Amino acid sequence: MQVYSIPNSIKKDSKFTFCKGCDHGVAIKIIAEIIDELNLRENTVAISSSGCSVLLYDFLDIDCLEAPHGRACAVATGVKRAHRAKGEEKFVFTYQGDGDFASIGLGESMHSALRGENITAICINNTNYGMTGGQMGPTSIMGQLTTTSPLGRNKEYHGFPIKTAEQIALCEGTKFSARVALYDVKNILKAKKTIKKAFECQLKNKGFSFVEILSSCPTNWKLSAQDSHKKIAEELTKIYPLDIFKDTIDD
Amino acid sequence: MSYIKIDQNKCKSCYLCIDACPYKLIKKSNNTGTTGELTVEFSDTENKCIGCAQCAIVCPDIAIVEVNRE
Ligand SMILES: Cc1ncc(C[n+]2csc(CCOP(=O)(O)OP(=O)(O)O)c2C)c(N)n1
Ligand code: SF4
Ligand code: SF4
Ligand code: SF4
Ligand SMILES: [Mg+2]
Repeated sequence: MQVYSIPNSIKKDSKFTFCKGCDHGVAIKIIAEIIDELNLRENTVAISSSGCSVLLYDFLDIDCLEAPHGRACAVATGVKRAHRAKGEEKFVFTYQGDGDFASIGLGESMHSALRGENITAICINNTNYGMTGGQMGPTSIMGQLTTTSPLGRNKEYHGFPIKTAEQIALCEGTKFSARVALYDVKNILKAKKTIKKAFECQLKNKGFSFVEILSSCPTNWKLSAQDSHKKIAEELTKIYPLDIFKDTIDD
Repeated sequence: MSYIKIDQNKCKSCYLCIDACPYKLIKKSNNTGTTGELTVEFSDTENKCIGCAQCAIVCPDIAIVEVNRE
Protein backbone atom coordinates (compact mmCIF):
# COMPACT_ATOMS: atom_id res chain seq x y z
CA MET A 1 0.00 0.00 0.00
CA GLN A 2 1.35 3.41 -0.94
CA VAL A 3 1.45 5.49 2.25
CA TYR A 4 3.27 8.51 0.86
CA SER A 5 3.30 10.17 -2.53
CA ILE A 6 3.82 13.70 -3.82
CA PRO A 7 0.73 15.81 -3.03
CA ASN A 8 -1.68 16.33 -5.95
CA SER A 9 -1.54 20.09 -5.45
CA ILE A 10 2.13 20.09 -6.44
CA LYS A 11 2.56 20.55 -10.19
CA LYS A 12 3.54 17.37 -12.02
CA ASP A 13 7.29 16.94 -12.50
CA SER A 14 8.07 19.86 -10.18
CA LYS A 15 11.67 20.20 -9.20
CA PHE A 16 12.10 22.69 -6.38
CA THR A 17 14.62 25.43 -7.07
CA PHE A 18 15.35 26.38 -3.47
CA CYS A 19 18.90 25.88 -2.22
CA LYS A 20 19.95 22.48 -0.95
CA GLY A 21 18.35 21.67 2.44
CA CYS A 22 16.15 24.80 2.53
CA ASP A 23 12.99 24.47 4.65
CA HIS A 24 10.91 26.42 2.11
CA GLY A 25 10.55 23.05 0.30
CA VAL A 26 9.13 21.33 3.38
CA ALA A 27 6.76 24.24 4.06
CA ILE A 28 5.36 24.17 0.52
CA LYS A 29 4.99 20.40 0.61
CA ILE A 30 2.91 20.41 3.82
CA ILE A 31 0.78 23.30 2.56
CA ALA A 32 0.07 21.26 -0.60
CA GLU A 33 -0.87 18.25 1.55
CA ILE A 34 -3.32 20.36 3.55
CA ILE A 35 -4.87 21.80 0.36
CA ASP A 36 -5.39 18.21 -0.82
CA GLU A 37 -6.81 17.04 2.50
CA LEU A 38 -9.27 19.94 2.77
CA ASN A 39 -10.10 19.64 -0.93
CA LEU A 40 -9.34 23.33 -1.50
CA ARG A 41 -7.41 23.12 -4.75
CA GLU A 42 -10.10 24.41 -7.09
CA ASN A 43 -11.22 27.23 -4.82
CA THR A 44 -7.96 28.73 -3.57
CA VAL A 45 -6.03 31.86 -4.48
CA ALA A 46 -2.53 31.96 -3.00
CA ILE A 47 -0.70 35.27 -2.77
CA SER A 48 3.07 35.00 -3.02
CA SER A 49 5.45 37.76 -2.12
CA SER A 50 8.94 39.06 -2.91
CA GLY A 51 11.68 36.81 -1.61
CA CYS A 52 12.42 33.11 -2.00
CA SER A 53 8.77 32.56 -1.08
CA VAL A 54 7.74 33.92 -4.49
CA LEU A 55 8.61 30.55 -6.03
CA LEU A 56 5.42 29.10 -4.53
CA TYR A 57 3.55 29.71 -7.80
CA ASP A 58 6.08 27.66 -9.75
CA PHE A 59 5.24 24.57 -7.71
CA LEU A 60 1.66 24.74 -6.48
CA ASP A 61 -1.01 23.69 -8.95
CA ILE A 62 -3.49 26.33 -7.78
CA ASP A 63 -4.32 29.92 -8.73
CA CYS A 64 -1.59 32.27 -7.49
CA LEU A 65 -1.03 35.99 -7.63
CA GLU A 66 2.27 37.72 -6.95
CA ALA A 67 2.08 40.77 -4.70
CA PRO A 68 4.60 43.63 -4.65
CA HIS A 69 7.09 43.39 -1.78
CA GLY A 70 5.24 43.50 1.55
CA ARG A 71 1.77 43.87 0.07
CA ALA A 72 0.57 40.26 0.17
CA CYS A 73 -2.01 40.77 2.93
CA ALA A 74 -3.37 43.84 1.12
CA VAL A 75 -3.66 41.91 -2.15
CA ALA A 76 -5.24 38.99 -0.30
CA THR A 77 -7.77 41.39 1.21
CA GLY A 78 -8.71 42.64 -2.26
CA VAL A 79 -8.99 39.15 -3.72
CA LYS A 80 -11.12 37.93 -0.81
CA ARG A 81 -13.44 40.95 -0.80
CA ALA A 82 -13.83 41.28 -4.58
CA HIS A 83 -14.88 37.65 -4.88
CA ARG A 84 -17.23 37.99 -1.94
CA ALA A 85 -18.85 41.01 -3.61
CA LYS A 86 -19.65 38.71 -6.54
CA GLY A 87 -21.08 36.13 -4.13
CA GLU A 88 -18.05 33.82 -4.42
CA GLU A 89 -16.22 32.61 -1.35
CA LYS A 90 -12.54 31.98 -2.20
CA PHE A 91 -9.99 30.47 0.15
CA VAL A 92 -7.13 33.02 0.21
CA PHE A 93 -3.76 32.64 1.88
CA THR A 94 -0.45 34.47 1.68
CA TYR A 95 3.04 32.95 1.72
CA GLN A 96 5.57 35.55 2.79
CA GLY A 97 9.09 35.89 4.13
CA ASP A 98 9.88 37.55 7.45
CA GLY A 99 11.25 40.62 5.68
CA ASP A 100 8.17 40.80 3.51
CA PHE A 101 5.60 40.26 6.27
CA ALA A 102 7.22 42.01 9.24
CA SER A 103 9.42 44.74 7.77
CA ILE A 104 8.41 46.37 4.49
CA GLY A 105 4.90 44.90 4.81
CA LEU A 106 4.31 45.32 8.54
CA GLY A 107 1.64 47.97 8.02
CA GLU A 108 -0.37 45.84 5.58
CA SER A 109 0.11 42.73 7.70
CA MET A 110 -0.86 44.23 11.02
CA HIS A 111 -3.83 46.16 9.70
CA SER A 112 -5.18 43.02 8.05
CA ALA A 113 -4.98 41.38 11.49
CA LEU A 114 -6.59 44.42 13.18
CA ARG A 115 -9.43 44.39 10.66
CA GLY A 116 -9.94 40.70 11.33
CA GLU A 117 -9.67 40.11 7.60
CA ASN A 118 -10.81 36.56 6.92
CA ILE A 119 -7.55 35.43 5.29
CA THR A 120 -4.62 33.24 6.38
CA ALA A 121 -1.03 34.49 6.39
CA ILE A 122 1.97 32.17 6.49
CA CYS A 123 5.31 33.80 7.32
CA ILE A 124 8.60 32.00 6.72
CA ASN A 125 10.98 33.35 9.35
CA ASN A 126 14.54 32.56 8.31
CA THR A 127 15.96 35.56 10.22
CA ASN A 128 17.26 37.35 7.12
CA TYR A 129 16.53 38.59 3.60
CA GLY A 130 17.36 35.29 1.94
CA MET A 131 16.77 35.96 -1.74
CA THR A 132 18.83 39.15 -1.90
CA GLY A 133 21.89 37.66 -0.23
CA GLY A 134 21.36 37.51 3.52
CA GLN A 135 20.85 41.09 4.71
CA MET A 136 19.68 41.80 8.25
CA GLY A 137 15.92 41.43 8.60
CA PRO A 138 13.45 42.52 11.26
CA THR A 139 13.82 39.06 12.81
CA SER A 140 17.63 38.79 12.79
CA ILE A 141 18.62 37.92 16.35
CA MET A 142 20.96 39.91 18.60
CA GLY A 143 24.53 39.36 17.54
CA GLN A 144 23.56 37.78 14.20
CA LEU A 145 26.13 38.32 11.47
CA THR A 146 24.57 39.34 8.17
CA THR A 147 25.88 41.22 5.14
CA THR A 148 24.42 44.45 6.57
CA SER A 149 25.37 43.72 10.20
CA PRO A 150 28.92 42.44 9.68
CA LEU A 151 29.72 43.02 13.37
CA GLY A 152 26.48 41.44 14.51
CA ARG A 153 23.08 42.95 15.26
CA ASN A 154 23.35 45.22 18.30
CA LYS A 155 20.68 47.03 20.25
CA GLU A 156 22.33 50.46 20.19
CA TYR A 157 22.45 50.67 16.41
CA HIS A 158 19.79 48.24 15.14
CA GLY A 159 17.33 47.78 17.99
CA PHE A 160 15.53 44.56 18.79
CA PRO A 161 14.04 41.81 16.59
CA ILE A 162 10.28 41.45 16.23
CA LYS A 163 8.41 38.49 17.70
CA THR A 164 5.86 38.40 14.94
CA ALA A 165 3.47 35.68 16.12
CA GLU A 166 3.22 37.29 19.59
CA GLN A 167 2.60 40.75 18.08
CA ILE A 168 -0.05 39.50 15.65
CA ALA A 169 -1.76 37.67 18.53
CA LEU A 170 -2.26 41.06 20.24
CA CYS A 171 -4.44 42.34 17.39
CA GLU A 172 -8.10 42.10 18.25
CA GLY A 173 -9.11 40.83 14.82
CA THR A 174 -6.68 37.92 15.04
CA LYS A 175 -8.37 34.62 15.79
CA PHE A 176 -5.36 32.35 15.56
CA SER A 177 -1.62 33.01 15.82
CA ALA A 178 1.12 30.42 16.26
CA ARG A 179 4.79 29.71 15.69
CA VAL A 180 6.05 26.34 14.44
CA ALA A 181 9.34 24.86 13.18
CA LEU A 182 10.39 22.22 10.66
CA TYR A 183 13.65 20.87 12.07
CA ASP A 184 12.50 17.27 12.59
CA VAL A 185 9.64 14.88 11.79
CA LYS A 186 7.76 15.63 15.01
CA ASN A 187 7.83 19.37 14.38
CA ILE A 188 6.92 19.02 10.70
CA LEU A 189 3.82 17.02 11.65
CA LYS A 190 2.94 19.57 14.32
CA ALA A 191 3.44 22.43 11.87
CA LYS A 192 1.08 20.73 9.45
CA LYS A 193 -1.59 20.34 12.11
CA THR A 194 -1.20 23.99 13.12
CA ILE A 195 -1.40 25.36 9.56
CA LYS A 196 -4.45 23.19 8.98
CA LYS A 197 -6.07 24.78 12.02
CA ALA A 198 -5.28 28.26 10.67
CA PHE A 199 -6.83 27.31 7.31
CA GLU A 200 -9.93 25.97 9.08
CA CYS A 201 -10.25 29.29 10.93
CA GLN A 202 -10.77 30.98 7.58
CA LEU A 203 -13.07 28.22 6.33
CA LYS A 204 -15.23 28.80 9.42
CA ASN A 205 -15.28 32.51 8.53
CA LYS A 206 -13.81 33.55 11.87
CA GLY A 207 -11.19 36.17 10.97
CA PHE A 208 -7.44 36.59 10.60
CA SER A 209 -5.25 33.52 11.09
CA PHE A 210 -1.47 33.52 11.15
CA VAL A 211 1.36 30.98 11.33
CA GLU A 212 5.03 31.92 11.60
CA ILE A 213 7.35 29.11 10.52
CA LEU A 214 10.92 29.09 11.86
CA SER A 215 12.78 28.07 8.76
CA SER A 216 16.34 27.40 7.67
CA CYS A 217 18.42 29.39 5.20
CA PRO A 218 21.51 27.18 4.91
CA THR A 219 23.04 29.29 2.12
CA ASN A 220 23.07 32.64 3.92
CA TRP A 221 23.62 31.14 7.35
CA LYS A 222 26.61 29.34 5.79
CA LEU A 223 25.65 26.14 7.55
CA SER A 224 24.77 22.63 6.38
CA ALA A 225 21.11 21.58 6.38
CA GLN A 226 21.80 19.56 9.55
CA ASP A 227 23.56 22.39 11.41
CA SER A 228 20.84 24.82 10.34
CA HIS A 229 18.25 22.58 11.97
CA LYS A 230 20.42 22.30 15.06
CA LYS A 231 20.61 26.11 15.21
CA ILE A 232 16.83 26.37 15.02
CA ALA A 233 16.28 23.67 17.66
CA GLU A 234 18.91 24.88 20.11
CA GLU A 235 19.16 28.63 19.54
CA LEU A 236 16.23 30.15 17.66
CA THR A 237 13.45 28.39 19.56
CA LYS A 238 14.80 29.95 22.78
CA ILE A 239 14.30 33.42 21.32
CA TYR A 240 11.25 32.53 19.25
CA PRO A 241 9.33 29.97 21.33
CA LEU A 242 7.10 27.48 19.54
CA ASP A 243 3.57 27.98 20.76
CA ILE A 244 0.00 28.91 19.93
CA PHE A 245 -0.25 32.51 21.14
CA LYS A 246 -3.91 32.94 20.38
CA ASP A 247 -6.72 30.58 19.50
CA THR A 248 -10.17 32.06 19.81
CA ILE A 249 -11.58 30.24 16.78
CA ASP A 250 -14.34 28.58 18.77
CA ASP A 251 -15.15 31.51 21.09
CA MET B 1 8.13 -5.77 2.05
CA SER B 2 8.07 -1.99 2.57
CA TYR B 3 10.16 0.21 0.29
CA ILE B 4 10.73 3.78 -0.92
CA LYS B 5 11.52 5.30 -4.32
CA ILE B 6 14.05 8.11 -4.74
CA ASP B 7 14.13 10.36 -7.82
CA GLN B 8 17.82 10.85 -8.58
CA ASN B 9 17.12 13.97 -10.65
CA LYS B 10 15.51 15.73 -7.70
CA CYS B 11 17.91 14.76 -4.93
CA LYS B 12 20.13 17.67 -3.88
CA SER B 13 22.33 15.63 -1.54
CA CYS B 14 21.34 17.38 1.69
CA TYR B 15 21.37 14.00 3.48
CA LEU B 16 18.54 14.92 5.87
CA CYS B 17 16.86 11.60 4.98
CA ILE B 18 19.95 9.64 6.05
CA ASP B 19 19.58 11.04 9.58
CA ALA B 20 15.80 10.63 9.62
CA CYS B 21 15.62 6.89 8.85
CA PRO B 22 15.44 4.96 12.13
CA TYR B 23 17.03 1.89 10.47
CA LYS B 24 19.76 3.69 8.50
CA LEU B 25 18.47 2.29 5.19
CA ILE B 26 19.48 5.30 3.10
CA LYS B 27 23.09 5.83 2.12
CA LYS B 28 25.16 7.81 -0.37
CA SER B 29 25.06 6.37 -3.89
CA ASN B 30 27.77 6.42 -6.57
CA ASN B 31 25.72 8.84 -8.65
CA THR B 32 26.69 12.53 -8.85
CA GLY B 33 23.55 14.66 -8.64
CA THR B 34 22.62 18.19 -9.69
CA THR B 35 24.61 19.81 -6.87
CA GLY B 36 27.79 17.98 -7.88
CA GLU B 37 27.63 15.74 -4.82
CA LEU B 38 26.63 12.12 -4.39
CA THR B 39 22.88 11.50 -4.29
CA VAL B 40 21.37 8.93 -1.95
CA GLU B 41 19.99 5.44 -2.50
CA PHE B 42 17.76 3.04 -0.59
CA SER B 43 19.52 -0.11 0.49
CA ASP B 44 17.53 -2.65 2.49
CA THR B 45 19.02 -6.11 2.11
CA GLU B 46 17.40 -7.37 5.32
CA ASN B 47 13.89 -6.01 4.66
CA LYS B 48 13.97 -3.70 7.64
CA CYS B 49 12.01 -0.81 6.13
CA ILE B 50 8.72 -0.26 7.97
CA GLY B 51 7.30 2.30 5.54
CA CYS B 52 7.17 4.98 8.23
CA ALA B 53 7.79 7.75 5.64
CA GLN B 54 10.02 9.76 7.99
CA CYS B 55 12.58 10.01 5.18
CA ALA B 56 9.99 11.46 2.80
CA ILE B 57 8.59 13.86 5.40
CA VAL B 58 11.98 15.51 5.97
CA CYS B 59 13.05 15.64 2.30
CA PRO B 60 12.90 19.33 1.27
CA ASP B 61 13.07 18.47 -2.44
CA ILE B 62 10.23 15.98 -2.86
CA ALA B 63 12.95 13.58 -4.07
CA ILE B 64 11.52 10.67 -2.10
CA VAL B 65 8.54 10.23 -4.34
CA GLU B 66 6.96 7.08 -2.93
CA VAL B 67 6.76 5.15 0.31
CA ASN B 68 5.09 1.76 0.17
CA ARG B 69 4.16 -0.15 3.29
CA GLU B 70 3.39 -3.83 3.41
C1 LIG C 1 9.95 47.39 -3.18
C2 LIG C 1 11.06 46.39 -3.21
N1 LIG C 1 12.16 46.62 -2.46
C3 LIG C 1 13.17 45.72 -2.46
C4 LIG C 1 13.08 44.57 -3.19
C5 LIG C 1 14.21 43.58 -3.17
N2 LIG C 1 13.92 42.38 -2.41
C6 LIG C 1 13.53 41.26 -3.02
S1 LIG C 1 13.32 39.98 -1.95
C7 LIG C 1 13.78 40.95 -0.64
C8 LIG C 1 13.88 40.41 0.76
C9 LIG C 1 13.10 39.19 1.02
O1 LIG C 1 13.30 38.74 2.33
P1 LIG C 1 12.23 37.87 3.05
O2 LIG C 1 10.89 38.48 2.92
O3 LIG C 1 12.69 37.60 4.44
O4 LIG C 1 12.17 36.51 2.18
P2 LIG C 1 13.25 35.31 2.03
O5 LIG C 1 13.92 35.49 0.73
O6 LIG C 1 14.19 35.39 3.19
O7 LIG C 1 12.43 34.04 2.08
C10 LIG C 1 14.10 42.25 -1.06
C11 LIG C 1 14.56 43.31 -0.14
C12 LIG C 1 11.89 44.35 -3.94
N3 LIG C 1 11.71 43.23 -4.66
N4 LIG C 1 10.91 45.27 -3.93
S1 SF4 D 1 18.54 31.81 -0.06
FE1 SF4 D 1 17.98 30.84 1.89
S2 SF4 D 1 15.73 30.91 1.95
FE2 SF4 D 1 16.35 31.31 -0.17
S3 SF4 D 1 16.27 29.29 -1.18
FE3 SF4 D 1 18.38 29.63 -0.47
S4 SF4 D 1 18.47 28.69 1.56
FE4 SF4 D 1 16.30 28.96 1.04
S1 SF4 E 1 10.14 4.58 5.20
FE1 SF4 E 1 11.02 4.70 7.28
S2 SF4 E 1 12.20 2.81 7.50
FE2 SF4 E 1 11.76 3.02 5.31
S3 SF4 E 1 13.57 4.09 4.47
FE3 SF4 E 1 12.08 5.68 5.02
S4 SF4 E 1 12.60 6.29 7.10
FE4 SF4 E 1 13.64 4.33 6.71
S1 SF4 F 1 16.46 14.42 1.93
FE1 SF4 F 1 15.85 14.38 -0.23
S2 SF4 F 1 17.23 15.82 -1.27
FE2 SF4 F 1 18.12 15.38 0.75
S3 SF4 F 1 19.53 13.67 0.36
FE3 SF4 F 1 17.59 12.75 0.95
S4 SF4 F 1 16.52 12.37 -0.98
FE4 SF4 F 1 18.18 13.79 -1.41
MG1 LIG G 1 13.56 35.87 5.16
